Amino acid sequence: MIVDDTIVFIVDDDEALREALGELLEANGVRSALFQSAGDYIGADKPDLPACLILDVELPDINGLELQRQIAREDHPPIVFITGHGDIPSSVRAIKHGAVDFLTKPFSDTALMAAIGSAIAQDRETRAKRAEVALLRQRYQELSPREREVLPLVVSGLLNKQAAAELGISEVTLQIHRRNVMQKMAASSLADLVRIAERLAIPIQHSRRMGGI
Amino acid sequence: MVAALRRTPPVLMIVSLAVGLAACWSTGTLFGVLAPLSALFLNARSYWLLAVWIGLLIAFAASALAALFYPGAIREAALSLGALVAVAACIGLLLVPAPLRRGNHSAVPRRPEPGKPEGFGPVPAHGAIHPDDRAAIAHAAAYAFWTGVPQVTGYRLRQPDGSYHWTELRAEPGYGVSVDVDAMVSRPDDRWSVAESLGTTMEAVKAAKVIESLHGKAWAFDAMGRFTYVTPAAQVAIDMALEDLNRRLGEREFIDGGEAGWMRGVHPDDVDRAASTLRHCLKTGEPWNIEYRMLRATGQYVWHRISARPTRDDDGQITGWFGTSIDIDVYKKTEAALRAREQHLEQLIDTVPAMIWSMTGAGHPVYLNRRMMEVTGATTETVTAPDGSLTLKRMIHPDFLEQAERTFARSVTTGEPYAIKYLQHRADGTYRWTETRAEALRDEAGQIIRWYGVSVDIHDLITTQTELHLRKQELTRLVDLVPSFLWRLTPTGAPNFFNRRFIDFLGLDEGSLEQPQTEQYAAALKAAVHPDDAARVWAGLKDCLSSGRPFAMRYRLRRHDGVYRWMDGRAEPLLDEDGSIIQWHGLSHDVDDQLRVEEALRESERSLRQLVETLPALIYCAAPNGEPIYRSEKLREFLGFGLGDKDEEGKTRLTGTLDAIIHPDDLPDVKERYAHSLATGSPYAMKHRLRRADGDYRWVETRTAAMRNAEGEVIQWNGICFEIEDQVRAQEALTLTQERLARAAQAASLAELSASIAHEVNQPLAAVVANSHACQRWLTSDPPNLERAQKTVERIIRDANSAADVVGRVRALFRQTVEARSFWQLDTILHEARDLMLEEATRRRIRIEIDVEPGLPPLALDHIQIQQVLVNLIRNGLEAMEPTQRGALHIRSMRAGDLIRTEVRDTGAGISALEKVFEPFFSTKSNGMGMGLAISRTIIESHGGRLWAEDNQPSGATFIFTLPAEAKADHDR
Repeated sequence: MIVDDTIVFIVDDDEALREALGELLEANGVRSALFQSAGDYIGADKPDLPACLILDVELPDINGLELQRQIAREDHPPIVFITGHGDIPSSVRAIKHGAVDFLTKPFSDTALMAAIGSAIAQDRETRAKRAEVALLRQRYQELSPREREVLPLVVSGLLNKQAAAELGISEVTLQIHRRNVMQKMAASSLADLVRIAERLAIPIQHSRRMGGI
Repeated sequence: MVAALRRTPPVLMIVSLAVGLAACWSTGTLFGVLAPLSALFLNARSYWLLAVWIGLLIAFAASALAALFYPGAIREAALSLGALVAVAACIGLLLVPAPLRRGNHSAVPRRPEPGKPEGFGPVPAHGAIHPDDRAAIAHAAAYAFWTGVPQVTGYRLRQPDGSYHWTELRAEPGYGVSVDVDAMVSRPDDRWSVAESLGTTMEAVKAAKVIESLHGKAWAFDAMGRFTYVTPAAQVAIDMALEDLNRRLGEREFIDGGEAGWMRGVHPDDVDRAASTLRHCLKTGEPWNIEYRMLRATGQYVWHRISARPTRDDDGQITGWFGTSIDIDVYKKTEAALRAREQHLEQLIDTVPAMIWSMTGAGHPVYLNRRMMEVTGATTETVTAPDGSLTLKRMIHPDFLEQAERTFARSVTTGEPYAIKYLQHRADGTYRWTETRAEALRDEAGQIIRWYGVSVDIHDLITTQTELHLRKQELTRLVDLVPSFLWRLTPTGAPNFFNRRFIDFLGLDEGSLEQPQTEQYAAALKAAVHPDDAARVWAGLKDCLSSGRPFAMRYRLRRHDGVYRWMDGRAEPLLDEDGSIIQWHGLSHDVDDQLRVEEALRESERSLRQLVETLPALIYCAAPNGEPIYRSEKLREFLGFGLGDKDEEGKTRLTGTLDAIIHPDDLPDVKERYAHSLATGSPYAMKHRLRRADGDYRWVETRTAAMRNAEGEVIQWNGICFEIEDQVRAQEALTLTQERLARAAQAASLAELSASIAHEVNQPLAAVVANSHACQRWLTSDPPNLERAQKTVERIIRDANSAADVVGRVRALFRQTVEARSFWQLDTILHEARDLMLEEATRRRIRIEIDVEPGLPPLALDHIQIQQVLVNLIRNGLEAMEPTQRGALHIRSMRAGDLIRTEVRDTGAGISALEKVFEPFFSTKSNGMGMGLAISRTIIESHGGRLWAEDNQPSGATFIFTLPAEAKADHDR
């Protein structure tokens, strides 16, 4: 029984192993896509599903670790490395850069399936977080410019009058902006707003003390 | 008296003497002597007469005195002598005046002295000349005086007795021709006659008379040549009367070829000509014109011109001849004299060693002397242009023609004398230097009438002058251009010549170079010598001047720009025959640059020597044969002895030195290597122990290279020796570390290799495992997917085979492959291997000796592989010998039938299991891989040879390998 809501990408230059892994995953009911090089993988049109990347360290075009480094900035599925002869520095580096596991050939199906399971779970979670942040960012986009100025001051913990002085507006006006921000960002409380701002990585630029002095 | 005697005619003397003697003898008195005495008186003159008179007076006085004092016969004799003398004196007195008066007639005609036209010198006084002749005489004398033309005048001179005698006077300028007029004087006995009958010659005589009235002299003769009339004066002059003239001397008549009397009066050279022409004329009637010499009464022959014309009767028959003769003697003689003079002059002109020529005032050539014509080949024609003027085209070299013509034209116009030097064309076609000078002869009006010129060959002179000039110039140039300073000193040391360069150097004024400027030179020299050198230079010079020794010194001279330059001055005296000094000739050479170079060279040498001496290295040099010739200070210090200190009997210095300083263990090697270098000229580098002065042996590295000349011959060996004791120690430690490292690396690379193999194998294994799991899944699924399981099993089989292939490939990777082999001399490879292991051997104090049989053929082999085998065997040997110390590893190579057998013999512990050592991974060494000998055997076997080991007695092992030699045959074929 093939589970369709997940996918496993396999990048290995050895066709026999690639086929074998595809066979193994299929036998375990996991959907897989096979690529013989990093280039093929990057250029391919991939389904937007919780996924896992099984990456051979020794690839013909670029090293698997290098590929990991290149795609680190993107939203990419967690990686499970496989290698013919795993050495410690490579594995350490791979793990440090977020690899789920580092398997040395030949590996058992249980180890592989465990790693895949763990990776897909991780990706599922990441994708959920990413959806929430996207929602918050959309709300943030709806703020007026002045409201976007008010938001960091408010979440920094400044008093209304401090924030008003900072922006050169009256306290009343600030309070109106603040209410609008709360409303637009769907924040139930100031603490909620602070948490949202944190999720949006809005920097806290001011402290209450600074304004007082 | 003698003159009187000579003057007295002999007949008179004899007669008078005879008369006197006869009188003396017959009468017995001395009066007879009077006769000869009177004869003497008759002819005596002047002083002699006076002497005679004195003698007579003395004799008279003596006779008187004798008569007074002596009585008797003596008185008688004295009286008679006195009387005789007195008589003689009286007679003499009576007789003397006559001859004295005759002396007045002897007169030599002379040109009358100017200013005394009336005197006419010797011309007889008017009173003595016949009145009819006076006018003619005066005219002739005046004519002669004014014109200088000789005059012959006949006139009648009155004789003491009152009669007139015909006299002929010749008056002429003093040309040296003179006629003794005295001889013309008529004598009392002059004979002349007139024919009794004129016969048919009446006409002729008449004509003769007419002529006589005109010329004063004429004659006529008949058709037969017999004279019928001759002017009496003429007869007198030739002292022949008509009878004498017509006398027939032979049998034949004159006309028939006989001799007539007149012919006696003709000069013998002329007589035949005169007679034959006359006969011819007589026969033909042609006029007779002839010149011949006629004998005068004086006995002289005088030239006459004779002309005669016939008279004819009505029938045309010749009736007679009349004619005249003119005295042309003076003309003849003058002419002869002139001719002689001219000839003389011509000879003079022709023999003078110069070319003489003349031309008219207008410049037209008229005369070239013979020499000129001979020398130049020119004639008057060749130098005359068609218009008569002078053309020099054929005389003068074209280069000088224009100048000559200009000069000539100017002179002709202005009348200035000219002189020109040019190249003259010569008869033989050459050109020679000639100088021509010409001056004008002018008449009273100052008009040029003649140009006289002389051309002198000055070729040799000019050539010599030119040559001299050139040589002088050359010499001057030489002296001035010679890149040195030349000078000359007087014996006292005063400079009197500096050459141009020296003058320029000192910056002296040009001045006049001709005259010595001693003071200026001396001052300049004094000022120019460097103050520091001055004392030394002047003292040295003074010493040389006084001793005559050559001067040689180096000193500084100030140049005109104030820069002092070093000079090498030298001077030597010029001696005359006596050995005394005439001059000093000196030369100063600017050696400043040279000195600077030398100084720089010395400096550089010193610094180089210092460098060599202070370099923290031991430096030495050796002769081409290896004999040490130099050791640096450091080396001497190190060794504690110098070059010759280790010389021993029977050993060369080299051997002695080597024996003394090289560690005994290193000595054979050092000697061998050194000898090899000396023999081949190849550089030498070696590490060995050297004995220090304190007896301690220190490790040194010696490097020696040959210094070669341009021909490539070794002229010296230069060597450097570093003390590398510390380095060697460090190196030993380093080598050990390196070895350890190498082994570690070996291990690491083994790990890498295995990792690589593992990867290759793991890949298919991973596939196998994955497929197996998949297969298991398909089989265990419900329902089991057999189809898929089957497929995966197929894949498993495939991948497992793939893994097996990998293993096979790895095995293939290790299998030796036969590479392209080439021909090598085994001993080359042996030496290479030895060199590779030399460091190791040295560290272990083990020598490696190679002994290769000469003449081994080259072998076809893989050079690197065989080298690897040898290195392996050598290393094994060295490692085996480590505990024994100071052994030697012997490598021998020799022919053994078709094989070349190479042995590597050590003196180590030996091998217990001779075959086992060749198995892979068998090692007796704690850190060995156990692969070396196995690989070596594989290599040797791949070359068609064998490798095995043998035990040595008493210790050690020998590894032997053979290689087939027939490969050479293949190659040769």
